[in-house]
Order: sequence, then structure tokens, then C-alpha cells
Amino acid sequence: MRLSVSRLATASALFLCSDLLLAAGAIEGAPVRQEVNPIAIGMFLLFVAFTLYVTWWASKATKTSSTFYNAGGQITGAQNGLAIAGDFMSAASFLGITGLMYVGGFDGLILSLGAFGAWPVFMFLFAKRVRNLGNFTFIDVISQRLDRDPIRLVTAFSTILIVIMYLIAQMVGAGTLIQLLFGLPYEWALLLVSGLVLAYVAFGGMLATTWVQIIKAGLLLMGVTLIAALLLANSEFSLSNLLGKATANHPNGDGILRAGSIFDDPIQILTIQVSMLFGTVGLPHILMRLFTVPDMHQAKLSAYYASLFIGYFYIALLVMGFGSIAYVVGNPEFFNEQGKLIGGSNMAAIHVATAMGGDILTGFMSAVCFATILAVVAGLTLSGAAAISHDVYAEVLKKGKPNPKTELRLTRISVLLIGSAAVALGIAFQHENIAFIATIPMVVSASVTFPILFLSLFWQGFTTRGALYGAGVGLVSSIVLIVLGPQVWVSVMGNTEALFPYDYPALFTMPASVLVMVIISRRDRSERGGIDRENYFRLLVRSEFGPSATETADV
Amino acid sequence: MTDANIEAVHRKTRQRLLFTGIHLVLYFSFTLNWTSWGERLGGYLGETRLTGSLMMFVVLVVTFIFLETVFLLLSRREAR
Repeated sequence: MRLSVSRLATASALFLCSDLLLAAGAIEGAPVRQEVNPIAIGMFLLFVAFTLYVTWWASKATKTSSTFYNAGGQITGAQNGLAIAGDFMSAASFLGITGLMYVGGFDGLILSLGAFGAWPVFMFLFAKRVRNLGNFTFIDVISQRLDRDPIRLVTAFSTILIVIMYLIAQMVGAGTLIQLLFGLPYEWALLLVSGLVLAYVAFGGMLATTWVQIIKAGLLLMGVTLIAALLLANSEFSLSNLLGKATANHPNGDGILRAGSIFDDPIQILTIQVSMLFGTVGLPHILMRLFTVPDMHQAKLSAYYASLFIGYFYIALLVMGFGSIAYVVGNPEFFNEQGKLIGGSNMAAIHVATAMGGDILTGFMSAVCFATILAVVAGLTLSGAAAISHDVYAEVLKKGKPNPKTELRLTRISVLLIGSAAVALGIAFQHENIAFIATIPMVVSASVTFPILFLSLFWQGFTTRGALYGAGVGLVSSIVLIVLGPQVWVSVMGNTEALFPYDYPALFTMPASVLVMVIISRRDRSERGGIDRENYFRLLVRSEFGPSATETADV
Repeated sequence: MTDANIEAVHRKTRQRLLFTGIHLVLYFSFTLNWTSWGERLGGYLGETRLTGSLMMFVVLVVTFIFLETVFLLLSRREAR
């Protein structure tokens, strides 16, 4: 059983955008509205009531733009680690990976490892240095070294592009998922998501957004733990027994326990790995979380705890993925008259919850999926609003000296605008194949954000001119190769064969971007280039030992 | 800036890049499953239904966390 390229591309792209999930319509035909599930709705209403209470509490502490952007730096490392993990332990992870494993077994794990593999790099390279050099966004970090106005404009543009593309994919996925799980009409689902997110972000800022993410992550961990435990309990607490039952049920037999059911090209695997690892590390809403903790030690702990939670989550998903084959395949309760899985393969996780825990566990996991979407959309909206109000308005237009009240007002207006745009674009793209939209944020992040941040922190010779040219090459090559690839050239434009064979071009665009940055920086003899190189040493000690070390050093 | 400060930062940078390098080598080694090596990894471990490929996934996850733990402990020791 080998998946078609377009189906595979969609499944992977949907996951690659991590939280964005499914647009099940693109995977398994038009989504079918399910009957209203009162248990799911009841549990979801409980979640909403509690998170709105948290938002009310957070709004009392969110009076300045500082507390709005970084929660006043009062989140602990463990709390922030859970919030960061929540950004990745998403509905897409839960439903998408389980669904992909349901279809192809072991091959689905490439997405788990891809998502998990980013966090050690995040910790080794960025956590401490980014926290020490920035205030609210990662753009603060690079603009201290490079020419602030052009570099802020370019990176703010890439941030907004990433956020908008991510949001479109999120909203389309959210509308489709909520249709499937709760039986709500698509447009109502988008309005509900947007309304709640606006309440969280506009009133509670980063503090409310972080706590919503923490609550959701905790619930999701509880859910997958319970399902995995029940699956193992039904297999006499033997993973081997569970795998044996899965191979007996699957058309591929024991082929699902090794590579090759879905993917057969190692280069394709590399393209996915590169996009996921470097794309995740450069996502603006993830980097922004480093500023919510009080110091560099807590920043490192954040990354460490995030790894622990995410690692545990993906190992639990391994059990769930094979469990879905063992306990869903062959159970007529989960198949329609045509013999197809109800809701498509992305519903395999919900079906296995039903098989193990009945309506109560199904309702709980459905509510958690909805909560996940809210939490991720909230984080994205906040990140986009910060790019507009902090990076462009406060730092570029007002040269770092904005009126604080005006800045906070503009931030809230930006939140409203982004929320409205998300609903409008979500409706506009409802019937489109959004797989390529999901791919863009990760590839652009890997090809623009990651190289600029890495080279500005680790290479003395890096200059503004090199950054700008490299960012341009990274951005243009990413978009061009995605358009020429299977997701757009074949699936959207209807051509028979793609001009570029891979869905995720970051394996090629990221090295191209880095190469241009290095060559242009080396050839840069401008006065600004000299300042950029000197700034490297000026910031070096502070980046490693914090602001207090700089005060004692003879700068 | 003093030479001692700069040297400390350079040492720390080398450490960061070393850990990242080890991590990336391990991370990309997972691709071996889709090459001819994958046939060896796809074999069962003893009498169980666990394959080398599945074991590799779990071992990589645990190893990454172990690497992070070592990195964190080294950082703490140096901070003291």
C-alpha cells in the first residue's frame, strides 16, 4: 500500500505546519459534518470558561507593551517549556502523525523525529544567546548587531509572511476539524476560533496566551497517556503484542514496522528533516517565548523541559499510531458503507480514543483538539501583532522611542486586524488545496530566519548587506521551488509532472541562502560592514553571560 | 573585553557547535532506514515484534534528551 504523491504531500505539509492540521477535505474528500457531540461540547465549554477566567486574571497584569509581549518575564522555565511543547504537541501532531502511522506505520515516525529533533538545536544554539540579547522578538537580537532599519523591515516582513501563511493553514484546518468533531458549520467554527483568540490575546497578551497553551498541553499529555496506557493494557502491557496485532490487521503486514510504506526516496526524507528541524528553530512565535522567562538559565531550562515533554509525547504517539491499526482496522463502528474510515485517516486518533474510552474519552480528546487550535492561533496572532507594533512601528518608525500607550493600542488593533484577516482568508481558502500554504512558513523560516539568526550570533564576518541579499535569495528561491514542486505545479495548476521533484525545498534553499550571505558578507567593504563586524565582539560576552557580564567587562 | 572573557565565550561556542554537530549526525542518521541499510534495521529484535528501526527511533529520542542533559550539566558546572 503506497500513498499517492499528492496525498502524501498533503499529509506531510499539514503536519509540517505543525499545528495546522488537516484540511481533511484535501486528504480524504469533502469533510462530512458529524452529529453534534454533547460531551465534546460540554468539555470544550469548560475549557473556554476556565481560559477566559485566566484571561481576565492576566488582563489585570497586562497594562504595558512589555507585559503584553513577554508576560513581564515572569514565566518559569518549566512552565515555559510546557508552553513551548504545547506549540508543537498540536492537533496536527496528535491527529496527523497518528493518521499517517495508521496508513503507513513506521514511515509516519519521520514526522515525529523531525519535530522533536529541532529542540536540542534550539537549546544548544539559541536559547541562552537569544534570551540575553533580545527583549520581545528575535528581531531585537539581530538588529542590535546589523543595521536596524533595513534588517528589521526584512525580518518583520518574513515574520508576517510566516504568520499569515501559518494562520491561513490553521484556520482552514480548524474549520474542517471543528466541522468533523463538533458538527459546527465551517464559517461559525472560524468565527468562534477568532473571537476566542481575540479575547485571549487582546486582553491577556502573552501571559494569557502562555497559560492557555500550558493548560492545553497538560490536557493533551493526559489524553495521550491515558490512550497509550489503555492500548498497552489491552495488549497485556506488551508493545510486542500490540505490534503483532497491528501487523495482523494491516494490508502491508509486518512491512509497517520498517521504512518504505509511504516514502521510498532518502533525499525526500532529508528534505523533510531539514525543513522541519531548521524551520521549527526559526519560527518567530517559538523564539518569542524565550523572552517570557526572567533570565538565561530559565531560557535554557525552557528548551530542556520542552524536549522532555515533546519526547514523551512522540513516544506515546508511537503506541497510539500502531494502536490505531490494531484496534480501529476491522472495527465496523469506524467505517462507512463504502468501507472507508469515517472522517479519513486523520480521524484515526479520535477513533482509537473511542475504541479505548468510549464517548467520554472521544469527547475529551475532541475538546483538547479544539483547545489546541485556539492556543496555537493565539500565539501566532501575538507574534504577528508584535512584528507590526514593536518591530515596525516602535523600533523603525519611532526609532525605539514610541509612546507606550500608543504602542499598546496599536498592538491591540494589530491583533484585531490579524484576527479578521485570518477569518476572511480562512473562508477564501476553504475549498483550495492548502498544502503549499502550509509548506511556505517552514521553508521560509529555515531559509531566511534561521540563517540570519545563526550567522548573526556565531559568525564575526556577517554583515547587513550579506543578510539582506541572502534573505532575498532564501525567500525567492523558497517560493519559486514550492511553486515548481508537486504541491503547486501538479496539485494546484494541474500539470502532469513537477518541474522540481520535492515538496520541501529547504534542503536546497537554506544552503543557497547561507552561501549568498557568506559570499556577500566576505566581499562587503562598506563602512556599515565594518560596524557590523565590530558589533559581533561588542555583543559576544553579553550573549553568553548576560547583561550583567557586559557591565563588568571593559567594553 | 578581557581575553579571559573572550576565551570563555569561544570555548562555550565550540561546545555549542560540538553538541549541535553530534545531534545533527544522529538526527540525519535516521535517513539510513530508507537506504539499503534499512533492510538490516528492519529485522526483528530477538523474539519480539520490535524492529531495529523502531528501536532506533526510541533510542534517538532518548539520546537527544541525554545530550541536552549533559549540555545543561556542563553549563551549570561552568557557571559555578
